[in-house]
Order: sequence, then structure tokens, then C-alpha cells
Amino acid sequence: MGISMNELRSTIYELLIKAQEAYGTRDAIRYKVKEAGTGGKKETKVESRTYTQLREDSERFSAALDQLGEQGKHIAILGTSSYSWITAYYGIVNGGSVAVPLDANLPAEDLCELINRADVRVLVYDETKANVALMAKQQCPDLARLVAMEQSTVSDALSMWDLIARAPGWDGNQPKPEDLATIMFTSGTTGKSKGVMLTHRNLAENATALDMGYEPGTVLLSVLPIHHAYCLSMDILKGTSVGAVICINDSLLRVAKNIKLFEPNMILMVPLMVETLAKKLEEVSFIPAPLVKAKVFGKQFHTVCSGGAYLNPAFINLFKKYDITILQGYGMTECAPVISTNCNSAKKDGSIGRCMPNCEVKIVEEEIWVKGSSVMQGYYKMPEETAETLEDGWLKTGDLGYVDEEGFLFLTGRKKNLIITPNGENVSPEEIENKLGETRLVQEVLVRDDGGVIEAEIFPDLEYASKKKIKDLQAALQEVIDEYNKTAPLYKRVFKLKIRDVEFEKNTTKKIKRF
Amino acid sequence: MFDQLTEIIVNYVEVKKEDIKPESRFIEDLGFTSFDFMSMLGEVEDVLDVEVNEEEVVNIRTVQEAVDYLSELTA
Repeated sequence: MGISMNELRSTIYELLIKAQEAYGTRDAIRYKVKEAGTGGKKETKVESRTYTQLREDSERFSAALDQLGEQGKHIAILGTSSYSWITAYYGIVNGGSVAVPLDANLPAEDLCELINRADVRVLVYDETKANVALMAKQQCPDLARLVAMEQSTVSDALSMWDLIARAPGWDGNQPKPEDLATIMFTSGTTGKSKGVMLTHRNLAENATALDMGYEPGTVLLSVLPIHHAYCLSMDILKGTSVGAVICINDSLLRVAKNIKLFEPNMILMVPLMVETLAKKLEEVSFIPAPLVKAKVFGKQFHTVCSGGAYLNPAFINLFKKYDITILQGYGMTECAPVISTNCNSAKKDGSIGRCMPNCEVKIVEEEIWVKGSSVMQGYYKMPEETAETLEDGWLKTGDLGYVDEEGFLFLTGRKKNLIITPNGENVSPEEIENKLGETRLVQEVLVRDDGGVIEAEIFPDLEYASKKKIKDLQAALQEVIDEYNKTAPLYKRVFKLKIRDVEFEKNTTKKIKRF
Repeated sequence: MFDQLTEIIVNYVEVKKEDIKPESRFIEDLGFTSFDFMSMLGEVEDVLDVEVNEEEVVNIRTVQEAVDYLSELTA
């Protein structure tokens, strides 16, 4: 144990350098590797990299990008969490370029569209996404280079680790707090995803403004997708700033196994995971609570941070029985992302915590507005959407809520028509409605959340159905949904179908009434 | 394989073993969440000593499809 460092950092560069100076030889990142063991069977081993290695590798990557003449450009990162991903991220932003983290679960066509829209010059990708790299080479005219995180199978892609091995140390200019660091895509209500522009100050101050009381050496297991602001800011940036050991979960399949392997003290989760792990605790609830906790999480485990979507307070009480604290927070990518959070020194049941020290909150006609150093610069090349969302420096969250007399924030509902799934993904109903509506058989469709799963209510084109002699409407419409689900990422899939025999009620502008 | 799988399924959702049919859909019929489903397959990896591929399993919908996928892995 050492002294906890919780000083405000205003650039990601400063955040990493100060952490390296304080925690140099300690482990920064731990991850699993598979090696051929005895009898040809693969064996799992844990490898680690120290703060000094992370700094040096990322600085070499900054230098390599500079040598390629790509420093200062927009550089996309595509892949799941890995040491290479984190090294690439720090190397890109600390050298003065703009990182564009992409969702590895999106279809290749959608990813190419985002690469074009964000004016990406270089794509850094992991080998499982080589198909996207190949497609991007054809479809993205401004994309100048491909950089593979491993040895590449795509012709003329460079190898990231070869570049790092050959690069000199980095002595370029330090980024300034107001420099753009990252563009992150988020779902818009109209269906077109928006590129949230975040500066060094936005991200670094969001990660360091609040002292959560983490001790250096705290072991975090990072299970959320790394292209999300919540994971990037709170696992990676905050974890780095406090000298934590960040352990990488290799797959959502193996969270339970990786908890046993890495023995974390805390995990950042979305409500969906809290619910599943609650079942695991309850499954063995006939044995004493400390033994249950030791079996599921290990004795050393103490904290879950939950964000991304609403968590039923019943889970907070359930976990308390096992001596595990759940700290619920609230945020959005546009605020880099944390707006408020409960912490050990200030928490309240049913609340999403107090506003971060670097921000202030006001309530305008029930809607939560936020101002402060984590609020984004705007949406990339979307001036209209930016003007709708930002007013005199205030970010209109679209969430309804109130602040109590002690400064704790409470959520009461949503203003915008956006589905927040229990795993924290934002889904635009219009986007799915438009896709389903492309089929002739679908005359009108409304998509909504129904108890945590996405439901589509469809009014079929009965005339078309009779012309095509479709007898089993249920089966035909289910086929439409199945077809859509085939290419949609898991969180955007429709799992419930409701069929109407009358048209939807419309408002005066002929739009379907949602509520 | 079907029996082995249903033994594990009942630990994740509130459904009786005898109500699980090959054509039962995990999310729509059995009430799995996507994360329950992933966690269950993680447990199956240990029981059957196989390695499941995350990208492949997202398209499994029914118990039979899971049985087929896992049978292929153990073959």
C-alpha cells in the first residue's frame, strides 16, 4: 500500500507520466495468454506489463506515428480490450493525434461508414477484425494506412509491435488540455450515430476530479467494452491515474473464471452483469454469506461500480449481505462520461450520487443539464445536433430528474426517445424501425423496450399479404425479424414481436404516437 | 449433450428441466439475458473441456442449435 494520488490531471499525457513516475515498476496491466503446454494442450498464463513499460511502449508508438507522418491525424482503434489496444490509445492521444475507438461488434459496412465520417487516416486493428481492414481498404478513400496489432495477414498492413520495436523515444510536443483527444460514437435518437468530440481536459479531468479512495495496487478487472467511454475513462484512465492493476477480461463468456484467475478487488459493471452475478450469489445462498462471496468473487473482492443504465436498488441491498458495496453512478459519453456517482464517503439509496466536483448540474423543466470541464466540444461535423444538445456550455442530458437538499441526484425518466439496454448500450428505436420498415410486409412499426428486451410492434400491410398469399402472418413477420437480427449486433436485436390488426394512432403531424 | 446442457440451464433461469425443449429459444422462451447466455456457455466450456468462440455463439438461438454447436466442438 502506498499513498493514494488523487491530483487533478488536465491532459491524458500528464495522467500517464505522473502515474509512471509514481508507480513505475508496479504492474499496470495484466492479461491472459495461451501457451502450448504438456501433451499439446493449451495452458493459460497471466502476463503483466508495468507502468514504465506502458509509458515506453506508448511513447514509441507516438514516435512511430510521427515517423510515418501521421501524427496529429485521426486514428481509429478496432478490437477488444488488450495491452496493444491500451498502448495504441495512449500512443495516439499523447503524441497529439485523435483516437477514434470503434465498436468491434458492428457490421463491417457500418464500421467503414464511421471510418469515413470521422476522417480516419490510420486504422489500428486486431487480427479478428482483419475482414474489416480488408473492406476499409476498398471502401475508405482517405484511409492511408493499416496497422495490425499482431502480425498481419492483410497485405501492406504494418505491424504495430514492429513499429514500436524500431521507433526511437518520443520527445515531441505535449498535448494541451484543450486539444481534441478522442472521437467516440454514440447512438443518436434519429438513428445516425454521432461522433462525440472529447478533449484531453474532458477525459483527464473526468477521470481524476473525484477521489474515490482507491489505493495504489487495487486490482480492477475490466469487463466492459473498451470503446465505451465508461470503460475507457473509469477502468483505463482512472485506473492508471491511481496506480491500479488493470486486468483484462478476454471474453464475456469467462467473467466468472477470470474473477478466480485475477482475484480483483473491484469491477465496473453494467446492470445486466450485476443481475447475472446476483443469481450466482443466490444459487448457493444456503451456505454462510462469507463463503458464498469467497466462492463467487473471492475474499479480496469489495466493490462494484455500476453505470450505463438504471440498476434496481434491490441488488445493492442483496450485495450488501455479502459485504460487497455497489456504487451506482450516472453519465453519458457527451460528459466524458461520469456526471455523478455514489462513493464510499457520500452515498444515498436510490440516488445516482452527487455531481462530480468538476461539473455543476441544474434542472430545467425537469431535465438534467450539466456544465463543466467534462462536457464535450460537440458532435463531429454535426452542427445542428450540437446546437440542439449544447446551450451556453450546458449539456442537455435528455434525462429527467431532481437534486435533493443534500446535493444527491435522482433520475425519474427520459425525455429523448432512446432505449437504454441493461448493458448500457443506447439503441435508437427509429434506426430499427427504419430497417424493419424496408420490408413491404411491414406497413407500420414501433420499437420499444419491454422489460429489458427490445420489442417490435408491427402493423402488417394486409393488402400486400393477401396479394402474396401469405397465410401465416406471425411466421412471415418473425422471418423479417430473424433476417434483421442476423446482421444486427446482439444488443440491437429484436426478441419480441407483437402484431397489430389496426393502424397505430397518429398525432397531428401524422407521426405514430409513442406513448 | 442435451441433458448435460439442461442441467446447466436451470442454474441460470427459472425454468423446470422438463420444460426445456430442443426448439426452446434461450432469450425469447427461456428468459435468458444475453449476459446469462454468455456466462452459461463459459460454464459449459469447463464442463465439456472445450473452447467456445464468442463471435460464433452470438448467433445461437435455440437449445438444439447450442447442442449442435457443442457436439461439433467435442467431436
